Amino acid sequence: MARDNIFVGLEIGTSKICAVVAEARSDGTLKVVGVGSVPARGVRKGEIVDFETAKRCVHDAIVDAEEKSDVEISEVYLGITGSHIRSFNNRGVVVLEEGREEIDEQDLDDVRTNAREVSLPMEDCILHTIIQHYYVDGQDGVLNPVGLLGKKLEADFHIVYGIRTRIQNAIRCVKELELEPADVIINSLATAQAVLEKNQKQLGAIVIDIGGGTTDFVVYVDGAVKQSGVLSIGGDHITNDISIGLKIPSARAEKLKVDEGNVTLGTAFPGETILLKDETGFAGREIEREPLNQIIHERLREALEIVKRQIEADQNLHYVGAGVFITGGCSQIRGLEHLASDIFGMPVTMAHALPMAGVTSAFENPQFSTALGLVKYAHLVQIDRPASGGLIRNAFQKIKGIFRN
Amino acid sequence: MVQLNRQYDRANNSGEPIHVKVVGVGGAGSNILDRVMLDGIEAAELVAINTDVQSLTASVAAHKVQLGRNLTRGLGSGGDPELGYAAAEEATDDIRSVLQGGTVVFLCAGLGGGTGSGAGPLVAQVAKEENALVLAFAAVPFSFEGRRRCAQAEESLTRLRAVCDAVVCFENDRMAEITLPRMGIHEAFAAADLTVSQSIRSVAALLQRPGLLHIGFDDVCAVLRNGDARALFGYGEADGENRAHDALAKALKSPLMNRGALLENAFHAIVHICGGPNITLGEVQIIMEELNRHINDQTQLFMGIGIETRMGNRLSVSVLSSLGNGLGKPIAQFRQRAVYPVEPLPQPNVKPEPWKPAAVSELPPKAAAQEQAGAIGYAPERGEEELMLSSTQSETHKPAQTRPPAKLDAKSQTGSAKKVEAKQEILQFEPVSRGRFEKSEPTIIDGQDLDIPTFLRKNVRIR
Repeated sequence: MARDNIFVGLEIGTSKICAVVAEARSDGTLKVVGVGSVPARGVRKGEIVDFETAKRCVHDAIVDAEEKSDVEISEVYLGITGSHIRSFNNRGVVVLEEGREEIDEQDLDDVRTNAREVSLPMEDCILHTIIQHYYVDGQDGVLNPVGLLGKKLEADFHIVYGIRTRIQNAIRCVKELELEPADVIINSLATAQAVLEKNQKQLGAIVIDIGGGTTDFVVYVDGAVKQSGVLSIGGDHITNDISIGLKIPSARAEKLKVDEGNVTLGTAFPGETILLKDETGFAGREIEREPLNQIIHERLREALEIVKRQIEADQNLHYVGAGVFITGGCSQIRGLEHLASDIFGMPVTMAHALPMAGVTSAFENPQFSTALGLVKYAHLVQIDRPASGGLIRNAFQKIKGIFRN
Repeated sequence: MVQLNRQYDRANNSGEPIHVKVVGVGGAGSNILDRVMLDGIEAAELVAINTDVQSLTASVAAHKVQLGRNLTRGLGSGGDPELGYAAAEEATDDIRSVLQGGTVVFLCAGLGGGTGSGAGPLVAQVAKEENALVLAFAAVPFSFEGRRRCAQAEESLTRLRAVCDAVVCFENDRMAEITLPRMGIHEAFAAADLTVSQSIRSVAALLQRPGLLHIGFDDVCAVLRNGDARALFGYGEADGENRAHDALAKALKSPLMNRGALLENAFHAIVHICGGPNITLGEVQIIMEELNRHINDQTQLFMGIGIETRMGNRLSVSVLSSLGNGLGKPIAQFRQRAVYPVEPLPQPNVKPEPWKPAAVSELPPKAAAQEQAGAIGYAPERGEEELMLSSTQSETHKPAQTRPPAKLDAKSQTGSAKKVEAKQEILQFEPVSRGRFEKSEPTIIDGQDLDIPTFLRKNVRIR
């Protein structure tokens, strides 16, 4: 049953679909009760391309999670990604009417609504409006303006939006399985919750989640989300490159990437080879190690350089104090840490989710960072707004909004 | 060239042994000398030559020569090269006696001051007269030390080049890049000294150590001789599993190397790999292949391998090369070589163009220059067809001698259009593979379809 203290995070990824069931304990921590994970089909670059197949996979993952956690799942926090997701920063302003000087909750809502009033294309809808900073009468560094006296309330928000129909696909997939999407969260934001500690967010950090089909990144500056983005390059691309470059079937390329791949050039002895055993439909072959590494190197270097360029373009790179945190399935490739620190010129951490109670194998695997982040996000938001049910109402409205028309 | 000489020791002992003398001239020279001494150098005599007695007594060198006993009376030369030269002239006999019997003389000096700039060339001269091979390591002052000093250094450098077999020039500006700007000035100079000392030691070691693949003085000279501008030197040492890669990476990280980027312009380079007896062929191969990525195809590479038990599990790589600023000569040679030998015929057709008085004089100077550059610079790279094309073009020019230049331009434009067409046939547009992303929405960033493998788009050669 969906109880208040049970959160389920569902990530429909390109390589795998996984559901994490976690329980909020009375001491305010989360305990992972069970993780269901199945290889994904019908998903490309983080988006559903074959609805029926993907739906079946989601179903399997949910069933798997239910079995492992002994919880009947009825509500999920759904992670969303895809190249259509974009973001920008915007400021909202509210001027208090004559005779009133104390800022109240209503003003906060107003300033948020105000910031959201931007002209987006018709097909787009807003996913998140994340508060960055409040300013009261031009004074910054205000954490919570409610109760303060002032005439003018301003607030900076990070607004994430995407194409409505494409977000709907994922939601519909969940709904058709008789599940209720409690909220829709972009993957990068969720991952950051799992990977970063509070002081790292304060210092400024970049989280890069290199998954199967997409690379999601988010930049924290001064404890607030400053930038987020999705790049449709992931592990699949590496596999595809290997498959084309070395002329071997995709499945072989995938295995080769996982077992032998290394991004550092010059580590292989010249002429060092890897033997691929023959099996039906594939004659055995020897593959040289250096070209393999070179292909992986080129691809990952490019992907990280694009991310860096985008962060640089928004002039956020200099405000990052805690460094780069790389997670996701692809972060397991050997030598990525050096490549990344070479590109970004700052400390790079190969991160997985911060420890939680429960199934340890879950958070030690960077593949599950996003799904764990989803439950963490859900938990955090619930702590933020405990009794009022504001979140649920909000989320409800959001999803209704997505389904409007 | 590189010679494989198994009986190196025996052969060498039967011949004349190499007497190495390291001579430091002036204050900076003796600083470098101290550094060399501290780091340890085998079988070399260290000679300090200076006008300043104080600095001379502080020096650790075994032999010391004081310059200008009567002229400067134990004081420095006060930054005056004339005075430095005169002081050295006074002590020529002392210098000669101390340099006698040296086969190879390494002269190190900091240029820009008085003694180093003034006496340095004279010391080199004397050493040369004593039939020694002279290799000068000269440090050029920081640019912030003022124009005057830089000019003095420049002048002295020219004189050194006239006398020495090879001059290795170290720019302090470049070397200081090793140290952070925040570090003490003392450390910055020390770091510069260290680099010079390292290169002296490794060149000396190159010459003296028995090598599996030996590098001789002739090789060193060949590499450094046309190095008019500056020396590229890198030294790296590493142990552990990945030592080959690490040692080379360190060597290339040397500030004189600029991560190997500068090597691309070098025409000769020496690589010396030294390690314990457990050095493998694979490691040598890794180093050489990696280095080959940094140099261009025309670079002549001298490889030396030394095996020393005292290296233990460590492996060291030294890379020595020079950037010539008188690049003209070698480039011309290499260009000539690149000319297609089959096509001497069209050349005369191309050449007469500048002779047509009317048409050419009317051309704007820039266009004329371009045309000339085209005729001389690019001719060797043109394919057969294009050469034919240009010859027909020049034929059509003949009646058009009196036409205004605009028409000429138009002609050449149509010519270039044809050239592009010819190239298009070679280019492959069709088989761009997107593999499994064939049917998915393309990921296009900055005009590039990222679904196509990166190595294909960037044209990286996958071996």
